[in-house]
Amino acid sequence: MKQRQEPLGSLEHIVLLAVMRLGSNAYGVMVRREIENTTGRDISIGAVYATLVRLESKGLIKSFTGEPTAERGGRAKRYFQMTADGEGSLRNTHEIILKMSAGLKGLQAT
Amino acid sequence: MRDYALQVATWTFSWLAPRSQREAVLGDLLEEYALRANAASASAARRWYLRQLCASALPLLWTRLTRSAWISTLGVALCAYLTVGVVELIVNWALASSAAAGTAAYNPLGMFITFPMVVLIGYFAARFRRAAPIVLGAIMLLNVTAMTLWATESLPGWYRIAYFLVGPAALLIGRALNSARPAR
Repeated sequence: MKQRQEPLGSLEHIVLLAVMRLGSNAYGVMVRREIENTTGRDISIGAVYATLVRLESKGLIKSFTGEPTAERGGRAKRYFQMTADGEGSLRNTHEIILKMSAGLKGLQAT
Repeated sequence: MRDYALQVATWTFSWLAPRSQREAVLGDLLEEYALRANAASASAARRWYLRQLCASALPLLWTRLTRSAWISTLGVALCAYLTVGVVELIVNWALASSAAAGTAAYNPLGMFITFPMVVLIGYFAARFRRAAPIVLGAIMLLNVTAMTLWATESLPGWYRIAYFLVGPAALLIGRALNSARPAR
């Protein structure tokens, strides 16, 4: 597999991690909620979708349409799944962060 | 949702969201709105919905603009517009320097010569972007309107009318010719 070298932006990184954490239940509002619950960051649905669209155009995630449901006014969900390139990019970004923060005092998780 | 502000917000969301994600965005908003209305109150959910619109407008608009083909269409139209300008300059220069030009300030011959060239430009613009000749026609109409409104010299009536019609008509013919081209 070709390793993707392009590092992720901050929001791209967070959204991609949220997609990974949610697994098969990753769709817009759940991604937004996951980020809010985990990081306390109140992110707009527009910013989530803008990032998801960008990640998809980079080939880091793929999407498919689910079934329409009544609670959503008959509108279908759009599920997102991480691709192999996405995993590679996430690993690459994670390694960069680990290398850059290695040995720095005051950055240990509390 | 019968709230007028929410209806306007929903309409704005549907306009801002990229077409491929529109249904999903609106569905997600409705799902979260209903959840918040049940968990807290309808007014809290309403505030959240309107706040989402304010915070989402810029990222969604940016995504829509960068994803849509209109920027390249505008680019092709502007290139074609420059080409039309160059063609007009050359034709006018050739007519002015020829003895046959006479003394008329607005030579109909120039329009007759330019017309097939603008058709050709419209044809090639449509090959790159189907909507480019229409955008170019609109630019030309705006240009002619501005020229007519703020012209310091008095233009003959026939020239104004012809200018309004000839450019856009030539472009539409060029576009139609491109559409009639057999598919390979």
